Amino acid sequence: MILDVIKNTNLTGDIWEMELTGPMLVKPIRPGQFINIRVGESHEHVLRRPISIGAVDRDTPSLTIVFRVVGSGTKWLSEREVGDQLDALGPLGRGFPLPKEGARVLIVGGGVGVPPLYELAREVRKLTEQVDIILGFGSGSDCFWEDEFRQLGRVRVATEDGSSGIKGYVTDAIPNDQIWDYLYTCGPKPMLRALKQHFDKVPIKGYVSLEEHMACGVGACHGCTCHTADFQETKRICKDGPVFSWEEVAL
Amino acid sequence: MSHTTNKPNLAVELAGLHLKNPVMPASGCFGFGREYGEYYHLNQLGAVVVKATTLHPRLGNPTPRVTEVTGGMLNAIGLANPGVDKVLSSELPWLAERNVPIIVNAAGDTVDEYCEVVRRISNSGLAQAIELNVSCPNVELGGLAFGVEPRILKDLVAAVRKHCSIPLFVKLSPNVTSIQDLALAAEDGGADGISLINTLIGMKIDLKTRKPVLANKRGGLSGPAVKPVAVRMVYEVAQVVQLPIIGMGGIYSGEDAVEFIMAGAAAVMVGTANFTNPYACLQIIKEIEEFMVREGIKDLEEIRGCAL
Ligand SMILES: Cc1cc2nc3c(=O)[nH]c(=O)nc-3n(C[C@H](O)[C@H](O)[C@H](O)COP(=O)(O)OP(=O)(O)OC[C@H]3O[C@@H](n4cnc5c(N)ncnc54)[C@H](O)[C@@H]3O)c2cc1C
Ligand SMILES: Cc1cc2nc3c(=O)[nH]c(=O)nc-3n(C[C@H](O)[C@H](O)[C@H](O)COP(=O)(O)O)c2cc1C
Ligand code: FES
Repeated sequence: MILDVIKNTNLTGDIWEMELTGPMLVKPIRPGQFINIRVGESHEHVLRRPISIGAVDRDTPSLTIVFRVVGSGTKWLSEREVGDQLDALGPLGRGFPLPKEGARVLIVGGGVGVPPLYELAREVRKLTEQVDIILGFGSGSDCFWEDEFRQLGRVRVATEDGSSGIKGYVTDAIPNDQIWDYLYTCGPKPMLRALKQHFDKVPIKGYVSLEEHMACGVGACHGCTCHTADFQETKRICKDGPVFSWEEVAL
Repeated sequence: MSHTTNKPNLAVELAGLHLKNPVMPASGCFGFGREYGEYYHLNQLGAVVVKATTLHPRLGNPTPRVTEVTGGMLNAIGLANPGVDKVLSSELPWLAERNVPIIVNAAGDTVDEYCEVVRRISNSGLAQAIELNVSCPNVELGGLAFGVEPRILKDLVAAVRKHCSIPLFVKLSPNVTSIQDLALAAEDGGADGISLINTLIGMKIDLKTRKPVLANKRGGLSGPAVKPVAVRMVYEVAQVVQLPIIGMGGIYSGEDAVEFIMAGAAAVMVGTANFTNPYACLQIIKEIEEFMVREGIKDLEEIRGCAL
């Protein structure tokens, strides 16, 4: 499916924000779903690059992705210009289940795990006013979309070097005097694990968005699996996920 | 004159199987058809080849199991599949309703396991042919793959043959000294056809972690990078066996497919290209037809093995 690039700007450091439009926007899109983008023009790159949908604007209509340049594929993406076209599949995967009306919600994102939580926060906000958001970054200069999140809930920022917000990890920024009904999170595996441990024995519904190297992105190749919590089965992150209840999968 | 008489004939006969065109997705790259069935009607394909099926369920290798390399990819899925009984009860009945021939890729750790898997698939009536994946390590022989030693391969094929009442294709591994000797061994064992190539063993190192990218360290190389090796091997096998050959390895276009047919293949399989473009098989079928029209070819028979 063809998407037109209508914006591609450097947010900070090696992080880029790209806005896309095209026929994909007529489909329902759930927060937490991703698109799988073909990179390069030749056969040098045979695998598409999975990138989360960060925001959906139904009026334009457009969707926004935020990505970090880590290799040749994301570098190619960063070089696209307004008017260029991308070949992308999507929306793919299962997104976040939304909370009950009026529920107390905690949203925790780390690094490039933050973008899909923005669209989630917008949807959550339609259901409840009680939204706490914790964003974790390496340093203040990696930080993005903080102001956007501030429109949606109470935001705390944690940076590893302390250059912005509190110094430490997202778990250090969780207030101890509050409880929540739902936790939604996306970010590096160690962060997801630490969160699960933090809320061990607390009655909270936790949802995690997982990441794995993918080949097909549609559930056909079993390249991207994770184990179920009992290690008896596997789930395909691209098709059965990327969002799972944290009871369901081994972290 | 009717339209159909101008249309080139893409249909092929493959060891008694009638395929409407020579293009089928390769094993392991198309699941059991369901996912790509969301993109198009599977009855447009020559056949569908499903994932490797083993006697018992397998979860597969640790992740990362796939990664990209220049012009291709590495995979170490580890034959993840729900086991033959589940495949027969939950996967194939759905596919059987799609009105397309089904070829089941069968694998095992021992000769007995192979025989049992093949027997159950053959008896189910749900598959039109079996493709024997002989790239698996033989646990009784210390993990040496079944497909590298002509004698062992011949014995395996002969043993399996007795349990198989539908056409039996043997899929050869390219990680061997002489592909011709193995093709001949499969023919001697009683195969009805040969498919090749499976993946070439490769590795990629992550410069940051300074370790192999794949958790399994090694992985099978596929995609455009392997095509010249695959064409050469199809050509060499076509020189020595009488059996129909299914060629694969890096096919991305109709012209790539035609190259395999000229090297002696009766049909082709498309693997990695499905990941790059979910419509790859359909596009390849269309491009083969366009090539035939352009070159005035009425039937693929006219060019099969013409390079030999
Ligand atoms: C469901 C999902 C959503 C994602 N969302 C985002 C996002 O919103 N923003 C963002 O910056 N990144 C996201 N990622 C990670 C992103 O896909 C990788 O950073 C990207 O594929 C790297 O490609 P490359 O060619 O630049 O890097 P290379 O390292 O050159 O890539 C080589 C191969 O490894 C794969 N790969 C490398 N790193 C990863 C990774 N972390 N996860 C999966 N595959 C990887 C590539 O796809 C490619 O096949 C997401 C990953 C998944 C699975
Ligand atoms: C992800 C993946 C999984 C595969 N699984 C199997 C398998 O289960 N059985 C098998 O015989 N071959 C398997 N193969 C090999 C392919 O069927 C094919 O032989 C090979 O990829 C070369 O073709 P290609 O370059 O078109 O991909 C797999 C290949 C890939 C990329
Ligand atoms: S990437 Fe193929 S199953 Fe998920």
